[in-house]
Amino acid sequence: MTAVPTVTTVTTPLAPGPARPRRRQLRAALLVLPAVIPVAIVVIGGVGATLLQSLGLMPLVGAAELSTAAFDDTDELLTSALLSLSIAVVSTAIAAVVGFFTAVLIISGNWGGRIVTVLSAAAVTVPHLVGAATVGLLLSDSGVLARLFGISPDAWPALVAGPTWFAVIAEYAWKESAFIALIIVGTLATRITSYDEAAAVLGAHRSARLRLVLFPLAAPSLLVASAIAFAYTLGSYEVAWMLGATYPEPLSVMALRLFNTASLTARPEAAAIGVITVVLTAAVVGAAMLGLRRMRAWR
Amino acid sequence: MTSETMSGESASPESMTSAITLTAVTKTYSAASPAALQGVNLDILPGTSTAIVGPSGSGKSTILRIIAGLEDANGGRVRLAGRDVTTLLPEDRGIAMVFQRPLLFPHLTVLDNVAFADRAAGLSRAQARKRARKHLELVHMAEFGGRSPHSLSGGQQQRVAVARALAAKPSVLLLDEPFSALDSGLKGDMHAMIAEIREAVNPTILFVTHDRDEASAMAERIVVLENGQLLQHDTVDHVFHRPASLAVARLLGGKNAFEGTIENGVHHSGLGAVAIDADVEPGPATLVFRHEAVTSTLRQPTSGTDAAALATRHADAAACQRSGPRALHGIVTATVQRGPRREVIVRVADAEVHTEAAPGRPLAVGDLVTVSLPCEALWAVPRQ
Repeated sequence: MTAVPTVTTVTTPLAPGPARPRRRQLRAALLVLPAVIPVAIVVIGGVGATLLQSLGLMPLVGAAELSTAAFDDTDELLTSALLSLSIAVVSTAIAAVVGFFTAVLIISGNWGGRIVTVLSAAAVTVPHLVGAATVGLLLSDSGVLARLFGISPDAWPALVAGPTWFAVIAEYAWKESAFIALIIVGTLATRITSYDEAAAVLGAHRSARLRLVLFPLAAPSLLVASAIAFAYTLGSYEVAWMLGATYPEPLSVMALRLFNTASLTARPEAAAIGVITVVLTAAVVGAAMLGLRRMRAWR
Repeated sequence: MTSETMSGESASPESMTSAITLTAVTKTYSAASPAALQGVNLDILPGTSTAIVGPSGSGKSTILRIIAGLEDANGGRVRLAGRDVTTLLPEDRGIAMVFQRPLLFPHLTVLDNVAFADRAAGLSRAQARKRARKHLELVHMAEFGGRSPHSLSGGQQQRVAVARALAAKPSVLLLDEPFSALDSGLKGDMHAMIAEIREAVNPTILFVTHDRDEASAMAERIVVLENGQLLQHDTVDHVFHRPASLAVARLLGGKNAFEGTIENGVHHSGLGAVAIDADVEPGPATLVFRHEAVTSTLRQPTSGTDAAALATRHADAAACQRSGPRALHGIVTATVQRGPRREVIVRVADAEVHTEAAPGRPLAVGDLVTVSLPCEALWAVPRQ
């Protein structure tokens, strides 16, 4: 009788699969908490308080009562919202185009690029308020340019405080284009030369490389930087307040005026404008983030 | 003694038919640094595969970048198929280049990466993709067309990079250490792939490598560079076994070099007298031979026979073939295992000889061995 050999299977105890990633995720979450908590307090607290105030639930005087009265003046709000959106869209679009080509010039590495790098870095450090004052001095009917060209104030176009909002858009476009350019350069500088060379030795001329390589690779950072510029432009008031027409008012200027008015009952209206601005900004930034996720270069 | 080509080749009327011709090309990156290339002359024939080897900083990649137009030479001319391209932009030279990193465009699929050159040339997306599929098939990556480059392994990415370069229909394909980051198994696959590509489309290939085995596996000719100077451009066999100088022998891993003097076709050195089958000038010369070509075999000690006696036995021989292969006797001083091969260092007379152990004969330090020197392995270079 022969013994039948038995086959034994040795099973090595395996670490449970999902536990480690979950623990790693938890650790990562804990590490970012110190940064997330203050941001959450400011954003949720600030936006929440504004929302409550706009709905009459946090009045400065009187009893709290749920009301949408602050949103009632729809014509005025719509006009201001459209104006704010127009200024933000046009100035951001110009800044994106100028910023992209400025980045291309900087990345090219020639002497012109180096000069543009210095100018862009300098432009970013100038506060918007100072920039607005400078643009005002430059473009007003008695400003530097009008005097330089010898054009009388009557013949000079209403670039400042005029119906086209030219000076406001110009100031935002100038400042934000420098910001966008530096963001693109920062993300592409280390790798674009290699890809550009790879495309060149495949026979791609400069325009083809710009269209097929440089722009698609820059697109994620261009989109993110543009979204930031848009959000800032839509929410900031000082440039439009200094260089814009008195009527109609952009949302931010109207909110500031109502907030500072002597009547404390105007506070909910100011808060309502704040809420509308937040919603518009969130919608645009959200759309940008969705677009970002669809980009292959980002993935 | 003459190698087929020594110290580079000068441009000649025949070079008009060459795929690549470099004439007195020099390159200096800065005034403070030594020249990266010093008057390099080179002719590469169409349809050949040529490797450029040399130590780091010898100017290997600089040559490729100058041919590609990615660097400007400080002097000299670059011709491709007889056309002077020295001042042309890279995109106008009709070349393609594969870099050490695959540099696949991350925003394009694998298929669109390969279709890139045609898209840049103005073809429609559909046409470009149709052509790209053929090139992906050539590198056995047809089923990966829809994938993103980052989802591929390093070897797969490099295959796609080669397909992308071939899709540009280049007159010359330049490869700058394209497989250096891959493991040895993958490298073997890549060498087989290049062989298939050569059979299918027969491009002129010029590639840089620091791997001597890769150079001999992929090329029929080798260019040896050192300190920006072209030391030798010759067939693989000649560069390894008929080096133009001691520097070439050393750069290609030669371990046996014995300084001595040549008289009547016989080299006299610490190793003894060794006849050389070559047209050698009398005078100071260094005997060189590859350790891979020399084997050591165990022998029983015999009374009164020592290495010097055996070596001098052939001192009067007029030539190696007439005198028969050398058989030197010595003692093993060290052994080094290198993969499946075993290097054996043998003391013969006053010299140490690097040899290989014959298969299946384990040798140990202190063993008495016979070292066989085949005539074909022996070569002498002028003493420097």
